[in-house]
Amino acid sequence: MALTITCPICGKRNGYEFRYGGVEKGPRPNEEGLTHTSWCDYVHMNECVAGIQQEWWFHRDGCGVWFTTYRDTTTNLEVEKPEVDR
Amino acid sequence: MILKGIGYGCEGKIVETNQRHSPVSFLSTPDQTEMRNGWKVVLKYKDEGTGPFLIDLSHRKRLDVQDSNLSKFQPGGVTIPEVPGQCAFQNGLLINRMNRTQAAVWHLLGDSPDMTQETAYTEVTEGSIFLALLGSESEVFSIMEKVTSQDLRQTANEPPFLIQGPIFHVPCQIVVFDEKEKGSAILFTCSRGYGISMAPELLEAGAEYGLRPAGEKAFSAWIKSLIDYSPQRRGDR
Repeated sequence: MALTITCPICGKRNGYEFRYGGVEKGPRPNEEGLTHTSWCDYVHMNECVAGIQQEWWFHRDGCGVWFTTYRDTTTNLEVEKPEVDR
Repeated sequence: MILKGIGYGCEGKIVETNQRHSPVSFLSTPDQTEMRNGWKVVLKYKDEGTGPFLIDLSHRKRLDVQDSNLSKFQPGGVTIPEVPGQCAFQNGLLINRMNRTQAAVWHLLGDSPDMTQETAYTEVTEGSIFLALLGSESEVFSIMEKVTSQDLRQTANEPPFLIQGPIFHVPCQIVVFDEKEKGSAILFTCSRGYGISMAPELLEAGAEYGLRPAGEKAFSAWIKSLIDYSPQRRGDR
């Protein structure tokens, strides 16, 4: 078991306590002029980054909070927020 | 669980009975019991031993308080801690700050005050089980180490403190009392449905340390000794 996730309330915990909530895709698209295709792209299409991405996680077995954190998909380790995103 | 029924009282009047059942049951034979608010409470089991003890407290009243501004509430006159993970223990009430908007209120002295009418409060007594593992520091933490990967000896918070995490992979609210000379205790709640398996598994894990079921008296004596020990916990100013 390599993955640990840092919950903003409970601190660093075993990755099995969490549920993955998908990659952070930014704000929901404006409904005005929204097409089926663009909505489908927003909901279902992922960039599948090989590297660091911002993700949603849910502390299912703990405090029940949703939060985002950064994970390197090539090492499956939680990492600090990249400089470019700061 | 509440079983509602109609029965005849001692004067021949028809009365409504509310029979409540704890989701936890032990195989040990009760020595002293009493009925309290519909709950059959075991005060003492035969052959309890000298500890460590596993005690069913599921009948003790528990509330959730939820609001975007928890600082305006003072359950039982006790201020809710500001930081998630911290607990306040005063006037026999234990208040656990869970997250930004929620806190749990546990009545550890066994009194059952009237339910507040404020909408921020929800009574959750019958939705969960409530167990106490009581014993010496080494016994309690050795047993817990077998059943959870949580760091119950974390020093960041002063005991009592709250950890929200799994025991046997079951999401629990765990409160750690590490009182050294007065003995240590782990109090925890989890969903009611796990009651049937949680207690037997804990007893099996603690068998090598002599863990046995105990009645409410063992817990009451311990919690009263903590309150008498500390003026702040008595609510003295």
